[in-house]
Amino acid sequence: MNPIDELRAARPAHLGDGPVDPRTRAAELSHAMAQARQTAPERRARRGGGRRVRPAWGFGLLGAAAAATAVAVVVVTAGGTAPRPGPAQTVTSTLDATTGTPKATVELNARDVLLAAAHQAARQPDRTGKWWRTVQVGRTLFHAKDGDYTVVEQQRTESWTPSATGGEQYGITRSLGARPATPEDEEAWRAAGSPEKIPVAVPDKGGPGRELTLSTRPGKERIDHSPLVDGDKVFWLGRNVTMKDLRGLPDDPAELKRLLLSSYGGHGTESSSDPASEEEWLFAVTIGMITDMPVTPNVRAAAFRMLAELDGVKVIDQVTDAEGRTGTAVAIEQAVKMKVTDEKPSGVLQTRLVFDKETGQALARETVVVEPGGFQAGFEPGTVWNSSAVIEAGWTDTDPS
Amino acid sequence: MTDDSRRFTGMYDECRQRVWAYVVSRAGRQVADEVVSETFAIAWRRLDDVPEPALPWLLGVARNVLRDTIRAEVRREALSQELRSWTEGDVADQVTERLGVLRALAGLGEDDREILILVAWQGLSPRDAARVIGCSAAAFRVRLHRARRRLKQAMDTPETPETAETRGTAETTGTAAPSRTRVRNLSEEWS
Repeated sequence: MNPIDELRAARPAHLGDGPVDPRTRAAELSHAMAQARQTAPERRARRGGGRRVRPAWGFGLLGAAAAATAVAVVVVTAGGTAPRPGPAQTVTSTLDATTGTPKATVELNARDVLLAAAHQAARQPDRTGKWWRTVQVGRTLFHAKDGDYTVVEQQRTESWTPSATGGEQYGITRSLGARPATPEDEEAWRAAGSPEKIPVAVPDKGGPGRELTLSTRPGKERIDHSPLVDGDKVFWLGRNVTMKDLRGLPDDPAELKRLLLSSYGGHGTESSSDPASEEEWLFAVTIGMITDMPVTPNVRAAAFRMLAELDGVKVIDQVTDAEGRTGTAVAIEQAVKMKVTDEKPSGVLQTRLVFDKETGQALARETVVVEPGGFQAGFEPGTVWNSSAVIEAGWTDTDPS
Repeated sequence: MTDDSRRFTGMYDECRQRVWAYVVSRAGRQVADEVVSETFAIAWRRLDDVPEPALPWLLGVARNVLRDTIRAEVRREALSQELRSWTEGDVADQVTERLGVLRALAGLGEDDREILILVAWQGLSPRDAARVIGCSAAAFRVRLHRARRRLKQAMDTPETPETAETRGTAETTGTAAPSRTRVRNLSEEWS
């Protein structure tokens, strides 16, 4: 008898073609069909690089000052994680723009949840390509100057980061327009005559504040490109790093922590003069890395494991992001000042990363008002003041068009 | 139900167990469901790319998912358990010849085993099997020929499985080995 035929006859019974267990079938079909279908152009864009379409992260914490000028602020370097030419802007954090109210939340054993997320994160596929491309929608709340309502300014940012050195990075930004934050705000906005141009107040450091006018109309797409900083730096992790640095980060949590903290200078991520504890700093840098950057699955896992060991961190289940997606949040609170020279903090904010605990993928970064004040004066506790939702993140071999 | 979901469900029902069996034969049962689930998720996302017949394409995707998501060591450990279960045989089905073939197969190198399984158990033509593992059909034929020869040799000169005497009952090996594996993996991951 031909050995192949003998082998065929010897196939173990459990490897035969029996029916699929109905529960397994239902679960696998629904898991699969919950995935976004790739349209033809999208597929072309991904061919070769082809990573999951599912979102992964947010971009930097927009400082209030940055947010105020958000319209003018660049795209490529606007985020908290883009490499910096020099000392950067201001403090801050974020809160949910859509709901504006605190929700019932369930707090879980943070360590267990984060370790489970790490486990899942490590199992995600790892690929690379010519470009790391992300699409994010940033939202920030403002009080209208004329009228008692709040608007949310929304901006879409698409970033292209090359894996090769010596090239350019691209940023494509577009304002999606401002809109009233809640149905109540919409009512007040209508009562004010549904203005298309909405002057808003922006608290400023020291002064009486500045004024900025938002438009309800979506803006034009703006394309920026610039050579990589130093020819090879692509992200900021406490210091500017190259793609090679990023891909070569240690996947041991203790080593990763040591390496990140070697860049800690005793201040916050957004300002060279804003004092922040080591832990707050590490948290901010780490969630930036988890959300923004093409680190390997094992490094993303190590990042979750590292967060699991931080004392001030808590986990909140069933958080809905500004895109309406439900995830789990890992959060830290910090007192913030408008100016370093201020004696007392102006308020307390919660910075959090919303992630999918089934994959460890980031959905959004958010800043939530805990104690209003400073840039967040006049917002209710629990308000998501600023957020950045990750719509897409993945590798592609197609050049930006 | 849309045409796409009908097509997808049909493809799933036709191919799911084959994909699962292939993954089990390469990485054991522990990780198989997860890999299969991810494979079909990719198939749905890229449905427009999936050719007919879909099986070779799906096996190729599963192969990549396995490579990209399951660490080599975890895979080896899980697979060695699976191979043990083959050579222990079903209690109700202790056919010596059949066990001899499976023991011979389990003793082959991973590449040989994969090639033989794609042809014998998945029923793929050399051309389709070549597509799964990403080589030319001509190269595949050469490799299949060699793998078959080595299988034959192993069947003709059976070695006593080194664990035969210490194996005892299926239950004892079935629990002792995996718990050791789990401990090691955890300590590695959490160190």
